[in-house]
Amino acid sequence: MNVVFAVKQYVSKMIEDSGPGMKVLLMDKETTSIVSMVYTQSEILQKEVYLFERIDSSNRETMKHLKAICFLRPTKENVEYLIQELRRPKYSIYFVYFSNVICKSDVKSLAEADEQEVVAEVQEFYGDYIAVNPHVFSLNLLGCCQGRNWDAAQLSRTTQGLTALLLSLKKCPMIRYQLSSESAKRLAECVKQVITKEYELFDFRRTEVPPLLLILDRSDDAITPLLNQWTYQAMVHELLGINNNRIDLSRVPGISKDLREVVLSAENDEFYANNMYLNFAEIGSNIKNLMEDFQKKKPKEQQKLESIADMKAFVENYPQFKKMSGTVSKHVTVVGELSRLVSERNLLEVSEVEQELACQNDHSSALQNMRRLLQNPKVTEFDAARLVMLYALHYERHSSNSLPGLMMDLKNKGVSEKYRKLVSAVVEYGGKRVRGSDLFSPKDAVSITKQFLKGLKGVENVYTQHQPLLHETLDQLIKGKLKDNQYPYLGPSTLRDRPQDIIVFVIGGATYEEALTVYNLNRTNPGVRIVLGGTTVHNTKSCFLSSAGFNRMGGILPRSVLMAFCFPSKKLNDLILKHSISTCTCSPFLQ
Amino acid sequence: MASSYPPPFDDPGEVREGFLCPLCLKDLQSFYQLQSHYEEEHSSEDRDVKGQLKSLVQKAKKAKKKLLKRESDDRADAGSQERYESFSYGGVDPYMWEPQELGAMRSHLSDFKKHRAARIDHYVVEVNKLIIRLEKLTSFDRANTESAKIRAIEKSVVPWVSDQDVPFCPDCGNKFSIRNRRHHCRLCGSIMCKKCMELVTLPLASKLTSASKEALASHTSPNSSPNSIQGSRRGSISSVSSVSSVLDEKDDDRIRCCRHCKGTLLKREQQIDEREFTPEIVKLYEKLRLCMEKIDQKAPEYIRTAESLNAGETTYSLEHANDLRIEIQKVYELIDALSKKILTLGLNEDPQPHPKTLQLQRMIRYSATLFVQEKLLGLMSLPTKDRYEELKEKRKQELERKLQMAALETQRKQEEKQKDMVSRSSAALNGEVPHLKKATVKNSEGWLPTSSVSRQREIADPLLQQIDNITSFIKQAKAANRIDEVRMLQENLRQLQDEYDQQQTEKAIELSKRQAEEEEMQREELQVLCEKEWEREQHKAMSQHLRTRSLDFREIKQHQHEVGKDNQNLIAHILDLDTTQIKSSPSSKTPSPNAAEQLASKEKTVFSIKTGEASQCDRDQNQTSLNPFEDEAATTLIDEDSTNPFAEDAAQVMSFPTKALYNDKKEYNPFENDEEDEETNGAAVSSPNPFKGDGDPFQKGRSVQNSGNPFDESSSTNPFEVDEEISGEEVIEEELLLQQIDNIKAYIFDAKHSGRMDEVEVLTENLKDLKRTLAKQKEKSNC
Repeated sequence: MNVVFAVKQYVSKMIEDSGPGMKVLLMDKETTSIVSMVYTQSEILQKEVYLFERIDSSNRETMKHLKAICFLRPTKENVEYLIQELRRPKYSIYFVYFSNVICKSDVKSLAEADEQEVVAEVQEFYGDYIAVNPHVFSLNLLGCCQGRNWDAAQLSRTTQGLTALLLSLKKCPMIRYQLSSESAKRLAECVKQVITKEYELFDFRRTEVPPLLLILDRSDDAITPLLNQWTYQAMVHELLGINNNRIDLSRVPGISKDLREVVLSAENDEFYANNMYLNFAEIGSNIKNLMEDFQKKKPKEQQKLESIADMKAFVENYPQFKKMSGTVSKHVTVVGELSRLVSERNLLEVSEVEQELACQNDHSSALQNMRRLLQNPKVTEFDAARLVMLYALHYERHSSNSLPGLMMDLKNKGVSEKYRKLVSAVVEYGGKRVRGSDLFSPKDAVSITKQFLKGLKGVENVYTQHQPLLHETLDQLIKGKLKDNQYPYLGPSTLRDRPQDIIVFVIGGATYEEALTVYNLNRTNPGVRIVLGGTTVHNTKSCFLSSAGFNRMGGILPRSVLMAFCFPSKKLNDLILKHSISTCTCSPFLQ
Repeated sequence: MASSYPPPFDDPGEVREGFLCPLCLKDLQSFYQLQSHYEEEHSSEDRDVKGQLKSLVQKAKKAKKKLLKRESDDRADAGSQERYESFSYGGVDPYMWEPQELGAMRSHLSDFKKHRAARIDHYVVEVNKLIIRLEKLTSFDRANTESAKIRAIEKSVVPWVSDQDVPFCPDCGNKFSIRNRRHHCRLCGSIMCKKCMELVTLPLASKLTSASKEALASHTSPNSSPNSIQGSRRGSISSVSSVSSVLDEKDDDRIRCCRHCKGTLLKREQQIDEREFTPEIVKLYEKLRLCMEKIDQKAPEYIRTAESLNAGETTYSLEHANDLRIEIQKVYELIDALSKKILTLGLNEDPQPHPKTLQLQRMIRYSATLFVQEKLLGLMSLPTKDRYEELKEKRKQELERKLQMAALETQRKQEEKQKDMVSRSSAALNGEVPHLKKATVKNSEGWLPTSSVSRQREIADPLLQQIDNITSFIKQAKAANRIDEVRMLQENLRQLQDEYDQQQTEKAIELSKRQAEEEEMQREELQVLCEKEWEREQHKAMSQHLRTRSLDFREIKQHQHEVGKDNQNLIAHILDLDTTQIKSSPSSKTPSPNAAEQLASKEKTVFSIKTGEASQCDRDQNQTSLNPFEDEAATTLIDEDSTNPFAEDAAQVMSFPTKALYNDKKEYNPFENDEEDEETNGAAVSSPNPFKGDGDPFQKGRSVQNSGNPFDESSSTNPFEVDEEISGEEVIEEELLLQQIDNIKAYIFDAKHSGRMDEVEVLTENLKDLKRTLAKQKEKSNC
């Protein structure tokens, strides 16, 4: 059930099968991101893959001494490119792998193009999704629905991605979907269709309890992506944006060249792997330890290398030092930037009110706090709009709804038109009319008990009170209590036992908060394995875009969010000194 | 009310009693039902209910604080457990999910091949047809044949399309006329205009035809199927005479053909070229890979050896480890050099290679650098000779401590048992025959002290004393015919025996240790040595003495010997000596001489290691040098040492091993040599070497190190070789410096590449320092 491992195995197999010798990996745009999520450059270099080329790139040279491994999505364009390539082969031998089911006619036309007999392998390897974490995958599709209905191309891509996932994990599941969402039903049907059509492929060894695919719709819980996050991974995505494990720091002026874009991958970065689910305060102290550790190992710069022994020690330790300095400077920069944004945008206070809006039902106090925050000049228009959105979603039908007044406040604050329009767009996307289950005042007995218990315990951490709706849904699913009338099965058969292997797919995108929830559920429920997927992994920005029906990221990205900050000195030393102070001063959780 | 509340906290799903609605006081079956009751019946009083619930919460909070606290504690425990155990009773971290098999896949290769085969056959036939015709067209002497005859031959090869059938050029569509004449393709017979006509030169033709002949002759590998297929197919038809190469470039020397035929031929030519051409980069790359494989094989072996040596074990010899290290380092250098060569391939050529080629080269270099960095990191350094000695000491001491602990333990037990036995035996006797008992007890008690006293004069060892006592006990018991007692006593005796063996071994170890120390100090006079030898003789005699005794004792109980043997094995194991050696040694039957045997073997090991180390000093110096001659010298030196018959002698005689250790010239009298060694040592310590003492920091470090370490000197500084050695050393220093400079340059390159300017600065500083040093050195050597 480990999706990262599944894709990695596919890629490793491709490389192994091609035998020894210099290799080039020929990919398309999507497979490039798929591979880059599971393999680092240095890792793949060790397997003798030295060049990475795009099949559509015209700037490729003929290099007959290279073997080509082609990993492509089976699209019409790719097949056409490959035909051209085979007619005039640039490499000595071709190993062709498609990431999904390819039709027979395409195979035929490829075969006919291979007059020089350079193709040694044609296979389908179903690595057709982006493996984010072992239990999280994404398809990197933004704006997959137009209104309430699927965009045809996106629907077929989503179906492909989801079936590829099932194939790569060797699961032939029963399917449940969210009844209130038309798109969930459509997708479920499409997946079922593929399973029926390719029944030979889906003929896996039967397990005692069949796996379960649960298809949900984002519109049922529009709250979760609107909240500020405080765990490392989620926070980085919310404030800086993670794209295929990459973080763009180029908007931080004065940043050194090699930190423009950093990679955060739990596969290769131990610190990240250990800290991605920890909250900001814990990371602050961990990063301090990391730096102390590092400073011990750091060679003294001004030290004269007096003897051969000194020299040798220096040269021998240098690579290790360099490796570590890479990790340290990366995380120090990222956490430094995070803490700067937090204090600059007054996020602690904002987050507190957000959580209050999301988790509590005290209208007047919430309204009061919001009004206060909207007056605060430090709160950005982005955050202000976000607060109003949360308010609009929660108190949509409240008797003393004062949304118009808040909208006026927004206008007075100088929040631009496009943000204000988003408020109504969000309500339309995820408002009460659309929701199948109640987000705020749950009618379900179990959840009331939960809320009740929470009230008893008091709030442990004001910034992380919110539990995404997904937690409830999955919890019930695991206990076999998820209502059939809300989440019906597709087809006649139903699951009598409690499910063990669960794949949840969220149309409209999952969030890292939900990834954390699923991670915790995995850890606390014996015998249960849950994989979470979504058309994308959201942060507030991307959620704005999809809910507003925008298809491309375009110019709406609030630059102010990524407003840069100048480090006065590029020297690592200064960086460390600076951030060791700043990360330690803003630790609201350390109590 | 309050009493009805606690249950839900335990498990809301199971407790089903006493749920009263706070508003209508209706008894509901469960908390759920209570809640739904609220929702249904009192939804209008929403606020009110919540308010009431809240107040209840306040109450319950106090009551339940303890319970909740415990609950959360439990959870925390479970959490921490899960962090470390992937299979805790809770769930599993997704990172630790059990490995899964490779996902589904489906091959289309057979389909693909089927379609391709159909296509390929067609294509291959086309090409072959053209080649055969080309052969026919070029098989006669074109220059000396009349053009009419040529035309006739050409027409016979392929039927020409008749002129009337083709009014327009099929390629460009121009109308044929008197000015735009028709031309026939000699290869397929089709018609085209002059503009569209292509020509095949004779050299090209001969190249194509001869290549296919070669392919037939050499039967190229079946993998390159298109070519071999063509070759074999053509083979049945081809009967080609030699092609005359005509140099004059008349129109007749070229063969007219259409574009399509020319295109096919050119493709074929390209294939031929590619098959024969192996680019430089491939050759270098193959070498590079070979080196990497070698490293992958050797490095683990080395790491194992080095780990063992660093732990002070004697399983591997330091000398061998050094060999291995040098070997590995050389391969690394080779990798470095090869990848550098690949990096700079074609950089000086004009035109510059394609950027992708350059990228490929860069990537290969990068991966080689990564490889070296990663593997070199794991390559721990070996202990220096001195350090190794220390480590060995430490380990030995540790072992001894362990042994002593064990010895004390057994001794304690022994005493206890003895006491126990005495009391028990007396008790048992008491119960049996009172009058007889009195006599025996008295007898044994009375006899015992005298025997020990008498023994004490001879043997100081209390253990031996005890053994004697017990033997006499046994005798008495036997005489008294008390089998039980005899057995017990025998048991006791055996334990004592073991104990004694252990002690003996310890002594041996201690002795060898002391000797090792003495060797190191090189202060021991021959006299002392002789004394030692005498001492040892005494020891031997002593153990001999014991052997007779223990043999005696073996007569009584045979199985005891086996136990003793076990014990030896244990000791041998602890000592990390060669167990097989001891087992196979004939004297292993008797424990005490075996101790001496162990001593001997111990000394042998010490000796061999010493010799290894002696040569290791040389190693240390030219470890990183590239000069092959020095290495050879070093190896021969080792060979000499290891095959040195004197070594065995020394081990056997055991009186002069220390001298032999540092004896490079075996024909020398050990005594003389000793003096010499001492002289050189003295020199090394007292006066810094004139060749080195010029204030050069590296040299200084070196010389200080050397002088502080007399063994390095004594081992290599044979008075006859001094000059050579030193000049050699200088070469080494230079080599080392150069290498370091190279390393640093590589790092600078790397750092620049990734834009870490501060690092570059530091490194450049270092580089400058090094260069300055190197310049100084060169000046000096020139002087």
